[in-house]
Amino acid sequence: MSWINKIKQKHLPSLLFKTLVFLFILFLLDFVIGTFLANLYSKQKPGDIYRITYSMDSMKQDILIFGSSTANHHYIPEIFKKRMNLSCYNTGKDNQIILYNYAILKGVLQRYSPKIAILDFNRDEFEMEHGSYDRLSALIPYYKSHPEIRKIIELRSPYEKFKRFSHIYPYNSLIFTMIMGAIESHKERKEIKEQNGYIPLTDTCYADLIADSSYGTTNFDSVKINVFESFIKDCQKSNVKLYIVISPLLIHCLHEDPSINKATEIAKKYNISVYNFTNSPLFVNKFLFAGNGTHLNDSGARYFTNLIIDSIMKDEGLINHKEILVNKQNISKK
Amino acid sequence: MLFTSIIYFLFLAGSVLVYYLIPAKYRNLFLIVISIWFYLYVKVSYIFIILFVILINYWLGILIGRTDSKQRKKAFFYLSLLANSSVLIFFKYWNFLILNLFELFGWLHLDNSASAPFLDIALPLGLSYYIFQTIGYITDIKRGSIQAETNFYRFTLFTIYFPKLLVGPIERANHFLPQLKRKISFDKENIIEGARRIAWGLFKKLVVADRIAIYHSKVISTSDHQSGGTILLACVLYTFQVYADFSGYTDIALGTARMFGFHLMENFKRPLLAKNVSEFWRRWHISLSSWVNDYIFNPIALKYRYWGEWGLFYALFVSFVVIGIWHGAAWTYVFFGISQAIALIYETATRRARKKISKRINSHIYNSVSILLTFLFVTFSLIIFQSKTIGEAFELIHKMFINRGHFYLYPSIGLFMITGCLIMMIYDLQEEFKIWSFSLFSNKSWLVQQVAYALLLIYILIAGVFDGGQFIYFAF
Repeated sequence: MSWINKIKQKHLPSLLFKTLVFLFILFLLDFVIGTFLANLYSKQKPGDIYRITYSMDSMKQDILIFGSSTANHHYIPEIFKKRMNLSCYNTGKDNQIILYNYAILKGVLQRYSPKIAILDFNRDEFEMEHGSYDRLSALIPYYKSHPEIRKIIELRSPYEKFKRFSHIYPYNSLIFTMIMGAIESHKERKEIKEQNGYIPLTDTCYADLIADSSYGTTNFDSVKINVFESFIKDCQKSNVKLYIVISPLLIHCLHEDPSINKATEIAKKYNISVYNFTNSPLFVNKFLFAGNGTHLNDSGARYFTNLIIDSIMKDEGLINHKEILVNKQNISKK
Repeated sequence: MLFTSIIYFLFLAGSVLVYYLIPAKYRNLFLIVISIWFYLYVKVSYIFIILFVILINYWLGILIGRTDSKQRKKAFFYLSLLANSSVLIFFKYWNFLILNLFELFGWLHLDNSASAPFLDIALPLGLSYYIFQTIGYITDIKRGSIQAETNFYRFTLFTIYFPKLLVGPIERANHFLPQLKRKISFDKENIIEGARRIAWGLFKKLVVADRIAIYHSKVISTSDHQSGGTILLACVLYTFQVYADFSGYTDIALGTARMFGFHLMENFKRPLLAKNVSEFWRRWHISLSSWVNDYIFNPIALKYRYWGEWGLFYALFVSFVVIGIWHGAAWTYVFFGISQAIALIYETATRRARKKISKRINSHIYNSVSILLTFLFVTFSLIIFQSKTIGEAFELIHKMFINRGHFYLYPSIGLFMITGCLIMMIYDLQEEFKIWSFSLFSNKSWLVQQVAYALLLIYILIAGVFDGGQFIYFAF
């Protein structure tokens, strides 16, 4: 049998042949698994993934809420519909900032122009922080299908377009979420479906709330500022009435936030209304409104949503000061 | 240039290609050039520090080697030691020393009203690693165990070789210098084995370490609001994180070096399966622990051998304080080292008693319990290691027992972390105990091996964290 060994040795695959075989296996697996994941992704039932897909591809409501977790937990679409007779959807997503919101707006404006957009703006939103670019990964599955958001995704890294060669990469870190979404085992998902994007916080936080003594950063990220300005310009170009809101905090802030000041300054330039609820006595130290240290619970969100609607209706001339006071009293009683 | 970045792999592919295309006599020179380029990519000014260290040690090494006078040998040796430790102390420990000196003045009610001369400088990357390497080199020449390297290029490459430059392994002259002298020709096994090692390193770093890092940092930064169980889980996972992060880096470093035909020393040997703390240190950061063993522990133990067991304890204590402080200029690292020393002293003192107990118990049960206890001890000591102050460490332990509330762990995050740790530990278990005769990664069929490694890369694409941070040991 030594001749067989000899032949085997003689015909042992060369490094080049082995590399080619390895690459073939790798690309084949990437293609097969990537296609499967893409299919799984598109079939997601209501949940975090579904909400992004819905926002990008199907949303057609009159009022849209943009922002991070504060937006997501503070604005109740159902109340907007009831009081303003306009449909509403909350696109707010945990941990996201203006970059993500602008991508969603771009996706929406490709299809239609909503009547009103509310952008919930956070303290330190313009902060130079690389992590905020990393979080744009949530949008990578839409890179191929939505050319209008490619430039925003490419802010993550200059190599983003090369990473797209992989069919699996867009669904990185999503496999277990997608599997769970497919088998509908997550209780929260049904709530999300019912409440048009709004996710209520049901707990009440009784923790000691200490005043915020931070000064906020003045080390601004110019990209974020430009994107914020583009958000305003795109809304105005598409005749979307934009309101910028700074959500209330349960704690007292001792110093003004430089990012909020900068955003207010830009908004003023474009004649955009800014509702700043920082240090609002209606919310500071109101434990019954606190879902956790930084967010309102459902009761707080109801009260806050009504206040925002009052402000918008007043701006639009749909309601007068007297009516606002009556509304406030009614809400307080409830 | 992060070892996990696309730019690094482009740099590596280009370098390997050019390395084997140029004549063999220019290859070491080429490696010096790309190593300098690699280091310049980190920060330009760092290059002057390493060049100073290279020049001074090259020159003093030759002087120590050439002189026959014992006194002059000693003088040159101490001069080199002074130069190396001055650089290390200045860049790494200056602020720590000044801070503690001023606090001592305060304690002694001495005038400390003058402003402390703190320095606003960042620790040059890799400093602790290459300084320890050159101290080892000089000590070996003084002991007569190696000859001084007279070829300047070779000595430069010994110090600056890029795969081991930033996070080690801390190479030994008798292991690495001979490799720089031999002619290296193209061998496809070096490329294949190197690539495989890099694939495992990427898996450990991107899938295990960086995944746990997200959970761990979130829990620890909000520990006031987290339940005791959540904090405990984060601390247990941190042990896996540090192991995966550091050994992952080492795998990439060793794989890279292998592609150029060099074998760097192993730094890890499945440390989480150690049955006691002394075994753990023979398996964990081997290049540092063996360095400390050769250049600190053995000389002290030998010098104080007439103290009996106490001489051994003293040597252990000093050695582990050095290991602790090597990690950084903070008391937490000193206490981390002391905790290891205490454990080792305990193990040395109770060796006979433990041996007696082990004979009475089933060996599988005894070994399993030993591995678990060692793991728990390591996890506990890493709580000190990861904290900024000792008070913070004890506060974290306190919170584990008193904090109540929900268990924070999203199912998808948990599944990613558990799957990653499981794959890593199953691989280690197989390597350690050879449980199964069938092996995917070292299968006799090269096709099965190819599929196994392709699946490993696919899993990295599915579960890896591509926005992760630096390697933990970059800070040391």
